[in-house]
Amino acid sequence: MNQLRAELLKIRSTRTTIGLLVGLIALALLFTILTCTLSPMSQLLTEQDQISLLSFGSIAGVFAALAGVMLFTSEYRFGTIRPTSLFNPSRGRLFVTKITAGVLSGFVFGVIGEGLVFSIGMMILKIRGVSVVMSGANMTELLVGAIVGTALWGAIGVAVGAVVPNQVGAVITLLAWGFVVENLVFGFLPKIGRFLPVHASDAMMGPLENKLLPGNVGLVVVVGWSLVLALIGVTQLRRRDVN
Amino acid sequence: MGYTHEVPLGESEHVPSVVQCDSLSKRYGDVLAVDDLSFAIEAGTITGFLGPNGAGKSTTLRMLLGLAEPTSGHATVFGSPYDELATPALRIGAVLEATDFHPGRSGRDHLRMLSRAVGLPDARVDDVLALVELQGASRRRVKGYSLGMRQRLGLAAALLGNPDLLVLDEPANGLDPEGVRWLRDFLRDFASGGRTVLISSHVLAEIAQTVDQVLIINHGRLVTESTLDDLTARVGGVVRVQSPQLDQLAAVLAREGIVTTRNNDHALLAQGTTRERVGDLALAGGIALYELVTEGSSLEEVFLDLTSGEAPQ
Repeated sequence: MNQLRAELLKIRSTRTTIGLLVGLIALALLFTILTCTLSPMSQLLTEQDQISLLSFGSIAGVFAALAGVMLFTSEYRFGTIRPTSLFNPSRGRLFVTKITAGVLSGFVFGVIGEGLVFSIGMMILKIRGVSVVMSGANMTELLVGAIVGTALWGAIGVAVGAVVPNQVGAVITLLAWGFVVENLVFGFLPKIGRFLPVHASDAMMGPLENKLLPGNVGLVVVVGWSLVLALIGVTQLRRRDVN
Repeated sequence: MGYTHEVPLGESEHVPSVVQCDSLSKRYGDVLAVDDLSFAIEAGTITGFLGPNGAGKSTTLRMLLGLAEPTSGHATVFGSPYDELATPALRIGAVLEATDFHPGRSGRDHLRMLSRAVGLPDARVDDVLALVELQGASRRRVKGYSLGMRQRLGLAAALLGNPDLLVLDEPANGLDPEGVRWLRDFLRDFASGGRTVLISSHVLAEIAQTVDQVLIINHGRLVTESTLDDLTARVGGVVRVQSPQLDQLAAVLAREGIVTTRNNDHALLAQGTTRERVGDLALAGGIALYELVTEGSSLEEVFLDLTSGEAPQ
């Protein structure tokens, strides 16, 4: 618990996380206000239209993953991994602490990102006189799926940072995977692509796209990816000397 | 300092050495950075860990502190490998680099996050900040700190747990003379209470006035392990002595086989001996001494002699 408190203080005590949060808020507000205001009414009427629009908050997963990556890569970049390891010599415990901190910060990113998109989006739809046809169950699935998915992306970010301690390398790896590789695989081979982490976490938010997995399967797949990456991350961390 | 930790009674009796390295080796690919290194450090000493750049000092310290895995051999602190000690940061303080800070974090927050990790209260952070005279700058971000301030912040982090052993890797690097003096006084004060210091350097003169004994390594191997005075004597050191009875003193020393030469400032230079030996002989002969000092330049020469060898093939 002490070590978790230390990790959370690390997150709060630099401007990196605040910068990521500000970026997320700005992007979420910009997208929601523009799309909800400018989209033709005909594109806002069905349940799938509305889920698709209000699921933009899942972009928080990118920010949560970046914040997670920083938890390890900043330590290597600035050399703080040395005092951190001296005060917490068990690499396994250090990894678990950071993963937990990554999940918690991801949860906060998810609540803020999806909370903003959902609340402001609904408000604008009401102002425009759009009838909200989403069922209560779908709304719950959307909110819970986006927030839990974002929290898991925090963990995935931490694991990637442990595997690739170079900060630039880890960030590029993560963004290239999320925005390029997965989309290519899903585009050409959707039966495989839907099992990849970004599309599996999209599935957790409800019926966005027919080719995606069912929500509960999506959750299992994302948890599986998180565990596999965490296992690789902790193995790497244990093997690697701190120089 | 208010935060002490308890060592089970009798434990110290079973652990004669604070630091112990046995046949420690570390290989990086084709490079043998540390080669079958063995030494022990007793409690209450200040030990200089010396060697030229690349001699293997930092690698040895990293293995000692559980940051690097030895290729063979083992290193223990207080009788156990570092990572097997319960909360080692409460017994061992270490500074390995003067730059181990996030530049955007304040000095105080850097210490707070470390103190939280081992369950120390924030009040302890304020204590160590006062100890290293950094209270005024503690809420500033580290990127605005001078090198000397960073060195002191690193020292503050090492002192958080009120340790019995302080391990410092090249702490005087980049310090101005005032900073070196501050560090020397600080370490003397720290060790005066029976605590132990292991301090590495590639410049003997930097720590010669601080340490009691030296371990010198070169190409990853132990070259010598001795007190400073013994080292000087062994390789032809010079002791300068002033006395109103120089002729008498020269005769006493000559009887013991110690070669002396007269210096033009009315001092005697005794070759290949120690201050203690000259002092004892003078006392036995009833000779007053005004000055008794080991010549610093000879120490540096000794160090250079010992570390100038080629790497073993």
